[in-house]
This record gives sequence, structure tokens and C-alpha cells, in this order.
Amino acid sequence: MSYTGVTPTARSRAMVREARHLLFTVAPGASWIIVFLVLPSAYLMGVAFMSNGPYGLPEMPLSLESFKRLAGFGFLGWSPGNLYTLIRSLWQTLISTGLVVLVAYPIAYYITTCRERWRPIMLLLVVVPSWTNQVIRTFGWMNLLAPGTPLSGLAESLGLIAPNMGLYPSNFAVTLGLVYNFLPFMVLPLYAAFEKLDTAQVEAAQDLYASPVRAFWHAVFPQTLPGLLAGIVLVAIPAFGMYVIPELLGGGKGMMLGNLVATQFSGGANWPLGAAGAILMLIATFVGLFAMRRIGKRLGGGEEVVI
Amino acid sequence: MRKRTLQRGLTGFWWLTVAFLYLPLAVVVLFSFNASNSAASFSGLSLRWYRRLMGNEEILSAFANSMVLAITSSVIALAIGCLIGYGMYRHRHRKLGWLIVLIYLPIVLPDIVFGISEMAFFVQIHDWTGLLQPGLGTMIIAHVTFQIPFVALIVYSRFVGLDPTLFEAAKDLYATPVRRVVHFMLPTIKPALISAFFLSFTLSIDDFVISFFTSGPESATLPIYIWGAIKKGVSPEINAIAALMIGAVAVAATISLAFSRRRLT
Amino acid sequence: MKINKIALALSLGGLALAGQAQAEEGKLYLFNWTEYMDPAIIEAFEEEYDVEVVQNYFNSLPEMFAKLNAGGVSQYDIIVPSNYYIPRLIETGLVQKLDKTKLDNLDNVMEQFQDPSYDPGGQYSAPYQWGTTGIIYNAETFPDAPKSWSLLFDPEVNPQHPFALMGDGQVTMGGACAFLGHGYDCTGMDAWKEAARLLIETKNRDTFSGFSDGTPALQQLARGVTHAGLSYNGDFLYFKEENPDSFANLAFMIPDEGAEKWVDAMMIPAEAPNPDLAHQFIDFILDAEIGAQLSNYNYYASPNAAAVPHLDEVLTQPPVQPSDADMERLRFTPSLEGQQLQTFQQLWAEVQAR
Repeated sequence: MSYTGVTPTARSRAMVREARHLLFTVAPGASWIIVFLVLPSAYLMGVAFMSNGPYGLPEMPLSLESFKRLAGFGFLGWSPGNLYTLIRSLWQTLISTGLVVLVAYPIAYYITTCRERWRPIMLLLVVVPSWTNQVIRTFGWMNLLAPGTPLSGLAESLGLIAPNMGLYPSNFAVTLGLVYNFLPFMVLPLYAAFEKLDTAQVEAAQDLYASPVRAFWHAVFPQTLPGLLAGIVLVAIPAFGMYVIPELLGGGKGMMLGNLVATQFSGGANWPLGAAGAILMLIATFVGLFAMRRIGKRLGGGEEVVI
Repeated sequence: MRKRTLQRGLTGFWWLTVAFLYLPLAVVVLFSFNASNSAASFSGLSLRWYRRLMGNEEILSAFANSMVLAITSSVIALAIGCLIGYGMYRHRHRKLGWLIVLIYLPIVLPDIVFGISEMAFFVQIHDWTGLLQPGLGTMIIAHVTFQIPFVALIVYSRFVGLDPTLFEAAKDLYATPVRRVVHFMLPTIKPALISAFFLSFTLSIDDFVISFFTSGPESATLPIYIWGAIKKGVSPEINAIAALMIGAVAVAATISLAFSRRRLT
Repeated sequence: MKINKIALALSLGGLALAGQAQAEEGKLYLFNWTEYMDPAIIEAFEEEYDVEVVQNYFNSLPEMFAKLNAGGVSQYDIIVPSNYYIPRLIETGLVQKLDKTKLDNLDNVMEQFQDPSYDPGGQYSAPYQWGTTGIIYNAETFPDAPKSWSLLFDPEVNPQHPFALMGDGQVTMGGACAFLGHGYDCTGMDAWKEAARLLIETKNRDTFSGFSDGTPALQQLARGVTHAGLSYNGDFLYFKEENPDSFANLAFMIPDEGAEKWVDAMMIPAEAPNPDLAHQFIDFILDAEIGAQLSNYNYYASPNAAAVPHLDEVLTQPPVQPSDADMERLRFTPSLEGQQLQTFQQLWAEVQAR
């Protein structure tokens, strides 16, 4: 082939080079994630549409059986077991996220009122416990809440729990574990929001509204909303799929969606059902992310959400 | 007046929260020195559980596995993530939405879905080809997968923070791309590389769920060992290993604090 | 960028090696229950055959089965399942037939274990130990404990002390069946449904502390977290011996309504990396003296006839060797398959979720 047409200009040669550069830098990582995460997830989704073999492994033909099972329809008729699990997961997510907000909001504010050189240290103090392994942290709570410990004794004498029973295992222990686990995830974005707080606006509001509550509501709260939303997503999504905490602190009473999914694989029960549960978790994750993006965009601070 | 009360209340709340955050860890450390095998009462100091740890081959090999896994995966993730981070920066004017989605995927995917997907997939591939036998290899693959995004984002944000004219200057200074990389790029992003490496390392050491589902018979890490021990119910020894791990984190935190202070001034 | 490329290639190479490093020659991978093997026996085997034994542990049979399905079938040389999981392991092709020509000591096995119902002709399995699952309770808390499942299932017998049930659904369900008068080894749909209903009620009692399997259940009892639970006779004696103070007040009981007897057997996974060594190991365990040493260590009854003369005295009396009256009430856990298994699992999933 001879060059009959236009000779390649310097510009288009540069474009080719750029494209090659892009390919070279991005391809290894992108293909790694595609091969080792996208394909496996796609495979898992495929498993959800297969039938359950006699011993829990996926089999042909394709079917929607596992989704029916997830919704509670077994061949014994409808039963509410999985629905309980689902509602429990939602409820635990809701209540623990709410509690985390209630604790983290004043803490994040308080840190910004402290002297500047103390702030990184205070943030570090909040974050360090989350560097230790999740299993270890949860184990610490097992030690604290077991029957016969001072905390359990206190709860017992207040009549909060039945005699001889510890605070663990219980749904309460699971909530506590979740709050403990996710608190730092909420403090950090809220702190970032408070740090950028426009104090002029706050002062104007203080002049404008007589009550501090209204001043807070109209001037402070809206400004911290993006941070709050970021925190809620960072807490609620992983809380919804939590496995370790209900497994260790719930003692079989506090089963959540993560446990339902995991036992289908680690207890040899039903791979397709577990995969269907995983799909549900994925949907919840993406709905959460999408909702936050939408709200974040409307508030005009959506890009902050990174980690 | 009211303001001061508020501030005082907040200070009290702050210390309460700190107590809440450190109480479980303190209890683990305290009970690791407990002389008796009781969860409820403390009956004198003793090093007996630490002595039991020494010479426990399983724990030592779990520790070794944790280290090999964390270091190997961090190094691989550093190389791959670095490339992506730079690529994202260099081509940030293009529409790279798909790449952003891809990079965020490992971060947003719930651990349990992540772990189970890989487990099921690896088993299937192993059935077909004999490759990807569950073990350290599959664990390294899984860890690299969740480390890449963090490395990429850290490196990317370091590049974004640089003065773009620096790149032009470097182009004039060093003739070949290799020299540019060695003498300009790597030195400039060195802090980002160090922090990315340590973040990857911490993420790897911390992970339980994903490791649990991708591990094989000989590749139990410390968290997997501790999980097994909790499930088995032998408690005081777990306190001792856990206390050691907490101690390691405390050291890391102190180092990190020292560095962040230097950076501030 | 070349440097990165080389580094990448090197590390990928390393990765491939890491994947291949397993299943070397001269290693035996043993997948066993927790606290079920005398370390001295392992050492003796390692010395005699100049190999390394890598041990992994499980706490329950569902866990073991899941691990095999998740790649374990090609990673372990020996597994030690209980009787009622053996048929499904055979049927799913997860285990291989034993080569009896390699097992000289097979004749040592007691006659009643030569041709067991769970594995006709003993083609796939060689017995390891046998024992019973009973109720362990705190005799100080319950000085007049009835010899009955009511200690767990009747809120009037135990109104205010925490208790645990077993994580393995078939055992817990069997207990509920026995309490309801359907016998421990019930399998009918109606009996199961009634048992499941009882279990859901029991779970929702304030004093229900959770599901825990054999060894963890014992540890909880020893630490006072629970006051009654289910575990195995041998484990009970083993831990009592190891920690006499914590176990001083605990007692083992076989409910009169019937309970479980079981046999654990050694099997070789279908794709075991080292089946020859696995056969050698099974033969080693079937040796008269080694078999006795094993039982003397872990306090379980031996299925090895030749080992009997070498057994400690404690092994010839209850609870290791149940009384004749108790023996008559003990049943094997039924081995479920097909539709029956599916039904059971749905019911059990329901119990877990509620």
C-alpha cells in the first residue's frame, strides 16, 4: 500500500501515540479488575439464575427459583423467614446509621471548634480503632458484653435484660457493634463539611433568627448536608451487607442479609439462593450510590464524596 | 454563658466517645494478661497466654502468611495502580467515565459479595483449567483487586496537585521517557507512593471477609486464625494475639502521627 | 515505564508460583474436627514416613461440606466426616473409593463397623472414632436436672438460665423431635414441621443464647456464658481433663427420649493431591496401638477391636461407653438426600431466620 491519500499529520500521529499511552497505563489495571472482579461478579449473577442441585451447588437448567426462595416461596408454601432477615437488615442499617449520625455530628463539630494543631490528632484518635481488625474489635465487644461482666450486670440490675443473660448475644449487641464499627466513617466527611462552614452565613443567621435552633437549622445544617450524605452512604451500604458483626454478636438471633448470603456458601446450603441475595445487596448498593449522587448534585457539592 | 455550657457538654461527650472507641480494645489488652480463663473476672496479671502463643506453629505461620500476602499484594497493586493513576491524570480531559466506574467498583462492592464472587469464580476456573487453586495465590489476586483503586486514587490526586508546567520542564530536562520516569516522576510522587503502599498494606492486614472466602488449607492469615479460634471458643489466647495486633496498630498510628505533624509544619 | 513492566512481569511470575506451591510431594493435608487428633500421633507419622502433615479444622459438617465444594476436593488428602454426611459425599462424587489392598490393618476394625449402613461394604470409608452427642449442663445451676431434652426445650424446667443449641441443624432438629416424642431420628414432614415450630419458639425465648457447635458450646459452658448446651462425650472429658476447675460443675447426660450416636470415618477426597500417602495414614490410624493412643488421647470410643486391650479404663465406662439402657436409646442421625434434604434445609433455614 502506498500513501495515496493524505499523509498522516503530526497531529494524528500524536493522537495514536496518546491512545497507545492510555492503553499502556490503564490496560493492566483495568483488565485486572475486569478479569478478577467484573467477570466473577457476572458469574455469580449467572449462578443466581441457575437451579439448586440436591446438595447446594448450581445446576442447569436456568430458573428463577432462587429469587422465589429469597422472597419466601419454598415448596412448603410461603414462609416469612427471609423476609424477617431482610427487614432485620434494613432495620439494623437504619437504626445504626441514625445512631452513628447522632454521635458523629456533635463530635465532628466539636473537633472543628478545637485548636487547629489538635485537630489532626483528634481525628487520628477517632480513626485509629478502625485500623485494628474488624474481627478483633468485635471480639472486644464479646468480652465486654458477655454474661457476668460489669456492663451486663448493670443492664441486669436496671432490668433491661433477663437475669443471667448477657448483653451479648443479642440484636442490641449487633447494633452496638455496627455503631462502633462505622462511627469514624461518619465523623470524617462531617468534619470536612464543618471545616468548610461559611461562618459569615452562620453569623448572619444568628442575627436574623432569634433562636439558635432556627439559626442552626437554616444556616448550619444545609451546609453540612453533603458531608452527612457522604457519611450515610459510607455507613449504610456496608452495614446492610455486614457479615462479621451479626455472626459474632448476634448468636443466631440477629441474622442479617450478609449472613444469609454467606451461609449459602459456607454452610453448604444453596449457591443460587446465596447469589440471588448477593444481587439484592448489589441493587441496594447501587440504588444508594445513585440516590446520593442525585441529591448531592442538587445540593451542588456532589464531588466531595470520594472516600 | 450558654455557649460555654454547650462547649463543656461537647467536651464531655467527646471524651465519652473516645472511651467508647477504646474500651473494647482496652479490654482485649487487659484480659490478655488475665491469670484465669474467665471472660468475666480479672484475677491477677500473668503472661501465661503470651507464653502459649510462642511456639504455636499455626500462629507463626498465620503471621507469616499475613505478611507475605500484605507485602506481595501491595507491591503488585502499587505497580498497577500507579500506572492507572498516571493514565487517569494524563488523559483526564478524555471521557473516562467507564474507567472511573471500574475503579470505584472494588470500593463500593460489599465485602461479602466480593469474596463470594471470587470464590465461586475461582472454583469454576479451577474445575476447568486446574489453575487458581485456592491459596495464597488467589488471596493475593483478590487483595490486589481491592488495593488497586486506592493506589490509583492516591497517585492521581498527587499528580493533580502538581503544577502542570513541571511536566513541560521535565520534558526539556530529560530526553527519554525512562529517564523522565526515574528522575522526575517517581521522585515527585514518592510521598504518594509511600502512603499508597502503607494504605494497601493496612487494607490487606485488616481484611477478613475476602481472605476468608479465597483462602486455601495452608494460607490462613492472622484474622482467619483468630476467627477460627473465636468460633472454637478458646478465648484467652485470642486476647493475646489480638493485643499484639492492637499494639502494632498503635505503633503504626504513632509513626503516622509523627509524619503528619512534620507535613503540617 | 520499562522498569514497571519488568517488575510487573516478575511479580506475576511470582504469583503463578505461589499458586503452584501447594500440594507438594511429601505433604499430607488432613481436614479434621477441632481437638480430635493427638499431636504425638501426627509426629510419629511424620517421622515414620518422612512427610509433613498439614492440619486444617472444621467445627461442623456443613462447614466441612462447603469447604470441599469450594475447591477443597483437590486440596485435602483425608477428611473425617460423620456417618450421616457420608452417603451425600459418595453420591456427589466428592470422595474416592479406598484401595483395600493398601490397608493391611483394615481387619482390626470391629465387626459392626465393617459393613456400616452409611457405606455398605465400607468401600469408601474407614472408621475413626465413635461417640454420642448429649446435653452438657451446669449441675450447680440445675441440681435436679431431669435426664431429658426438657432442660433445653421446656421453659418451665429452665426458666432463667441461658442455653445454646447446636449449629448443625440435623442434631438440633433431632433433639426437638425426640422431645416431642417423635424419636431422635424422625424424618416425616409432620414431625419436622412440629419440631421446627418448637425450635422457633425456643429461639425466641429470652434465655436462648445462640447456636454453637461442639467445641465452642463446651467453652461457653466452661466460661459460664451458657448453663446448658449440646456437645460430644469425648470432647467433654477431654476439656474436663485439661481444665478441671472450669469443668468441675459440668455434667454430661443422654436424654431418655433418645439422642445421637455417631461414627466419624476417614475418607479420601476424589481429587486428593496425595492419595497414596492418605492410604498410608488411614492404615497408620487403624493400627492397634495407634488406635488406642488416639482414643486414650481424645476420650472417644474406638471402633478398633485390636486396640481394646490398650485402652485406658475411663474409656470402658460411661459416658465414653454408654450404659446398655442408654445405648438402646441412641440413634444414628438419618442421612438425607434428594427432596427430603431440600425439605429439611428449607425448614432449618426458616428456623435460623426467625
